[in-house]
Amino acid sequence: MEENRKNTAEAAKASSILEIRSLQKSFGEHSVLKDISLSVDRGNVISIIGPSGSGKSTLLRCASFLETADGGDILYDGQYAVRDGAYASRAELNRFRTRFGLVFQNFNLFPHYSVLRNVSEPAIIHGENKENARDRARELLKKMGLDGKENAYPFQLSGGQQQRVAIARALALNPEVLYFDEPTSALDPELTGEVLKVIRQLAEDKMTMVVVTHEMPFARAVSNHVIFMDGGVIVEEGHPEAVFGSPVQERTKQFLRNYQQ
Amino acid sequence: MSLMTMIIKMSEGLSKTCAIFFLTLLFSLPLGMIVALLRMSKVKIVSAVTRFIITVLRGTPLMLQLLAVTYGPYYLFGANVARNKLIPVVIAFSINYAAYFAEIYRGGIESIPVGQYEAAEVLGYTKVQTFMRIILPQVIKRIMPSVTNEVVTLVKDTSMAFTVSYQEMFTIGKQIANSQTSFMPFLVAGAFYYIFNVIVDWVMGRIEKRLDYYR
Repeated sequence: MEENRKNTAEAAKASSILEIRSLQKSFGEHSVLKDISLSVDRGNVISIIGPSGSGKSTLLRCASFLETADGGDILYDGQYAVRDGAYASRAELNRFRTRFGLVFQNFNLFPHYSVLRNVSEPAIIHGENKENARDRARELLKKMGLDGKENAYPFQLSGGQQQRVAIARALALNPEVLYFDEPTSALDPELTGEVLKVIRQLAEDKMTMVVVTHEMPFARAVSNHVIFMDGGVIVEEGHPEAVFGSPVQERTKQFLRNYQQ
Repeated sequence: MSLMTMIIKMSEGLSKTCAIFFLTLLFSLPLGMIVALLRMSKVKIVSAVTRFIITVLRGTPLMLQLLAVTYGPYYLFGANVARNKLIPVVIAFSINYAAYFAEIYRGGIESIPVGQYEAAEVLGYTKVQTFMRIILPQVIKRIMPSVTNEVVTLVKDTSMAFTVSYQEMFTIGKQIANSQTSFMPFLVAGAFYYIFNVIVDWVMGRIEKRLDYYR
């Protein structure tokens, strides 16, 4: 009861859709996330950059409950999904799941479903009426520049098209925040542009997003806030012009220098 | 005895051959899935016991299993041997084939990328929905060639029912061969099995083709 009141009180003042406090995660002996804290305000785009193995993907996977954190808090809209490493009930986690969408590096579309079914079925599973779900899916596909592809199967599409279907699918459940886990890393270089373009378009529509990426110019241009991670900690963060233009930490400078070469 | 009479007599056993074949598929295909899921259970003891049972079923002759199921109850408890041998025959075949199908299913399930489960989880599919809607259809497509192999083998294995004198086609053929001292019944049996398998191949090919709409 007390818990509930507290949760509601915090919800009222929460402007952050996602808040993470001192998150910790190890795989065996190896500590991947050491005391990570961040908050994501509505309408913001946050880019997470850093070398591979820095923990940035693990961070997103913890936020989307695909990995179980060892300690710390995860709050959605001011409500605890994870408190001091203890997870909310399965039913509650399912409710939190409807608040975010996740776009994977290798799309993970369902190969045996048509494009339309890939995008519409999740809503139907959640009890949405079939026709409405399909209309909404068609609308999203159009927005992703995929009209005319609704009856195609994933294998018939290019990587860039598949990733845009995956973005439409993640949007179909009307999430409040969208996570991208290296959305262009599995794509041929000439296809990354079309995917980055739709993400940019979503940013213009004030979609709240957290993007783990290696696309530095994109991160600099689109995000309001950049986080540089290395070795499981946030080394430096701030406005993209600050982080990219005049980084303070030696490690950040070194990383960005390597990128420019 | 003329060839025609042989063919007619032996084809009278075909309905029993078909009974073994279809009933075995009817029971072993779903039973195999249950066995596969038990084999993959996270509860160590369940998966270990299931694994042991599978190795016994695959590691001992089907013929022995047929004899055990048919006559075991008599030797163990003095129970009457079933008058209708179809029952013990189908039980033995179903259990044996379930063990083989279970391993095929397991291979298929384990070959599905973990990303499929993760995508379904994030999208709010329940465990059952994920399995029935996302995983199983892809598994079925992947395992079709191996299943076809087993089904073709089953057609020929039905002849093993002769060990418990169940009057299916091959048993009748063997009896004619003995009484007439002729090899002809075996040739007829071979032709029957071959035609049966041509049909099986055609049907399975059709199913594979229907699943060909995606990769």
